[in-house]
Amino acid sequence: MTAAKSDVRQGTLALMVLKTLQTIGPLHGYGIARRIEQTSGNRLVVNYGTLYPALLKLQQDGYISSEWDVSDNNRKAKYYKLTRAGHKQVEKEVGEWEQTNAILARFLAPDQETQ
Amino acid sequence: MRTLRAWFLRAAGLFHKERRDRELADEIESNLRMHIDDNVRAGMTPAEAQRQAMLKFGSVESAKESYRDQRGIPLLESLWQDVRFGLRMLRKSASFTALAILTLALGVGANATVFSWVRTLLLNPLPGVVAANHVVALETLAPDGSWEPTSYLDFRDLRDNCKSVQAMSVTKPMALAVGDTESVERVWGEAVSGNFFEMLGVKPALGRFFSTAEVDQQQNARPLVILSHAYWLSHYHADPGVIGASVRINHFPYTIIGVTPEEFHGSMPGLSFDAWVPATMYGQLASTGDNTLLDRKWRTFRVLARLAPGVSLGEARAEVVSHAKDMARDDANTNEGMSATLLPMWESHYGIQGSMLGPLGILMAACALVLLIVCANLANLQLARATARQKEFVLRLSLGASRSRLIRQVLTECSLVAVAGSLGGIAIASWLKGTLAWFLPRSSVPALGHVPLDIGVLFFAITLAFAVALVSGLAASLRVVGRNTDEMLKTGGRASSSAHSSRLRGLLATSEMALAVVAMIAAGLLLESFRNVSKIRPGFDAQQVVVAQLDLSAASYDAQQANAFYQRLQQELERQPGVTAVSYADYVPLSLSGGSWEKLEIRGYVPTPSEDMDIYRSLISPGYFNLMKIPIFEGRDFRSSDDMNAPPVMIVNQEFVRRFIGTGTAVGRQVHGWGSWFTIIGVAADSKVFRLNESPAPYFYVPMRQIYRPEMGLAFFVHTSASNDSALSTLQREARAAAPTIPVFDVMSLSDEISVSLFTQRISAGLVSVLAGVALSLAALGLFGVMTYSVAQRTNEIGIRIALGAQRKHVFAMVLGQGTRVALLGITIGTLAAWAVTRLMIGALYGVKPGDPGTFCAVSLLLLAIALLACYVPARRAMRVDPMVALKYE
Repeated sequence: MTAAKSDVRQGTLALMVLKTLQTIGPLHGYGIARRIEQTSGNRLVVNYGTLYPALLKLQQDGYISSEWDVSDNNRKAKYYKLTRAGHKQVEKEVGEWEQTNAILARFLAPDQETQ
Repeated sequence: MRTLRAWFLRAAGLFHKERRDRELADEIESNLRMHIDDNVRAGMTPAEAQRQAMLKFGSVESAKESYRDQRGIPLLESLWQDVRFGLRMLRKSASFTALAILTLALGVGANATVFSWVRTLLLNPLPGVVAANHVVALETLAPDGSWEPTSYLDFRDLRDNCKSVQAMSVTKPMALAVGDTESVERVWGEAVSGNFFEMLGVKPALGRFFSTAEVDQQQNARPLVILSHAYWLSHYHADPGVIGASVRINHFPYTIIGVTPEEFHGSMPGLSFDAWVPATMYGQLASTGDNTLLDRKWRTFRVLARLAPGVSLGEARAEVVSHAKDMARDDANTNEGMSATLLPMWESHYGIQGSMLGPLGILMAACALVLLIVCANLANLQLARATARQKEFVLRLSLGASRSRLIRQVLTECSLVAVAGSLGGIAIASWLKGTLAWFLPRSSVPALGHVPLDIGVLFFAITLAFAVALVSGLAASLRVVGRNTDEMLKTGGRASSSAHSSRLRGLLATSEMALAVVAMIAAGLLLESFRNVSKIRPGFDAQQVVVAQLDLSAASYDAQQANAFYQRLQQELERQPGVTAVSYADYVPLSLSGGSWEKLEIRGYVPTPSEDMDIYRSLISPGYFNLMKIPIFEGRDFRSSDDMNAPPVMIVNQEFVRRFIGTGTAVGRQVHGWGSWFTIIGVAADSKVFRLNESPAPYFYVPMRQIYRPEMGLAFFVHTSASNDSALSTLQREARAAAPTIPVFDVMSLSDEISVSLFTQRISAGLVSVLAGVALSLAALGLFGVMTYSVAQRTNEIGIRIALGAQRKHVFAMVLGQGTRVALLGITIGTLAAWAVTRLMIGALYGVKPGDPGTFCAVSLLLLAIALLACYVPARRAMRVDPMVALKYE
């Protein structure tokens, strides 16, 4: 482990989980964690102490649902998948993120602002 | 919506914990396996694969912990833990718990009871009335500033002219004889204006109410009656067909048009009425004729007003005063010098709230004292407990419990005590609230015996219990929890705080003692005045005399018929066995019913301009003085020949002679009243008329056969050689037999009537004594607790002393001395406080000064004795300490 790796910023983990499930389809907790780490180019570490409560919260909010299934290599695992509300939520949050990003970008690049 | 759903799921997460825990464990297990599989596939050895996977996974237990927090509602779960733990702890120290709950229940119960009385009589005096705080009383003021009822014409002028008053109505409380010739019952009713119910905002439960246009126009034209809910229930079994039915009132047929809602009792605080008739029917019902409503001097009505929106009482009063001034000028022949004022209901002179104001004030003060003692006692108990639990707290703190968590634990335990205490208090209050009826005068007017224990009172009780329990508990445990953990661990959580906290506990016990002294001295002074008042001789002999009152207004007799009736009944009664004398009068002395007066002019006496020449009087029959054993000093008693055809005569009392006649002979002097000149024929001894503790006032008697007033009262007095009880039944039977249509009421012995007149003193002395007793026992309990605890703490020290040769009696004296010091300090402070406070009670005292040395000494000695008693048991325990056991204990 190198110092460059950081924990997932709070509040963004939920969106990453939702986006992962949207891209890949139904997936178990371990798979979600690995996928997020890979997508980040191994710059993020997903802590399971944060992941499980986050998954539970998303379930309680009704964005994802879970069921037990058998994995590719014949292991029983709990699979999570997006619900209809979850799909909408991804769109909404992605939109919000893009907007926030755009605004922040203008702040963080003051040279462009004057043009 | 989504949040609600999430909370619902979290709440559901509180259940089936095992199944959910197992599922989480399975999921973690399966994910871990997949991780290991991946590692092996990447080329690690199985052992290395497992090690790396575990490393990456982090603490499984901590993951589970945060998962559980998200699953349920942590605050709720730890609250539940606290409650269970608290219940266990409370059960473990059962004596503490029982004491705390009992103390709290006593304090809360006493306060809730008095609060419910205050609420019924003062705060919410008119239940069922909309925005009752805007309803005020209008009272006429005589030139000397005393209040009077209002005449109908004055009322009409004020009603039509006052802009700051939205509506104004008269009400005249009156006893009505309701029923047919078979059985007539006395029912209390009010004669009211057409807008009475509308002004009060009361809606009929059944039928309709009067309309202004209908009943305020002509006199005696609308024989309509509205019944109370209670009367409708008891006499008509809640039959809705009662509307339109006819009922006889004072022998006139009336039509029932409505029923009031259940909570409405009429317009006089603390009293309940059962019937309402139009004020324009008053002349007919009271047999006073049409003139009653047309004569400005006939001041007989009570007036209520509702303030217009946004108008203050002061503004409205100013307008009323200015109109009254105009009226005093315009109608100078009747109203010269008169004025009027507006008063809030609780200050109004009608109803029982006036006479209850003093006793209730004293009661509330006594209750507040008890509550303070309860607080001190509870704080003491909590402090003892917190000190005892210091070890537990220190252990928990050092094991990582947060201070806020410990405080939450203490709060939970206090709340448990508060819940139990308030439940106990409510039970006590609901049992006590009915006792108000015992203290109300047993007069002929129906007092509102039913005191509702409503939401307000319950809320009050519960808030009180929680406030007391939480404040005392928190204050106590903060002292313990707030300390430095390290230091406490070193001392084993024992000795470090004991000196400090036992000083605080001594202080609490001292203040309890002081408060108890104040309560006891107040009770002692009130008891002493009650004794003094009961010892006053009324000036007549009430032994072996029974009285019955009759309501003649129902019979509509003229003077002749009335006289015939008196004589017939008197002869019937005289024939009965055991009856030794019979007499009658229009007033029973000391009966609280309020007397009548006449404006007199005495030949040869010139009153000062402001002198009140309205002198109270009685109309009596011959033989009255003999029966009552009131001596006649000069002249003679009335004879049966002193009737309508004979010259008018009167007998005056000694005070009358002292004030108006001086040293000359009174007999033969001329006095003017009722439009004619009376000759004084005798002087009777002074006797008490209204209250036992009144000072002598001029009074006079006239033969009932010479003065007849259709509205006057009639009471028959029977002196008996047999028992009072048999005389009472004889009197009741004969009075009914003589005229079945005349209601007979208030049949009781004259000594009972007198004890009724003592009710103000009785209620104050009785209740305050009970409360002082409670205060005393709580203070004794507090001192006992402190001493017991102090001995337990010092067991070690005492053991060493004894081992070193201290004599056991010295140990005993030492403990006793310590307790006595606390008690003496408390008694001294309490005595000084009482010295200052009892001055406020001067109005409630009779024949005893606020600083009465006897009472102060007696109470101090009593308290000292009780304090010694409270210290005796702990001192004995200290004396018996076995040095070996005490030393081993460490």
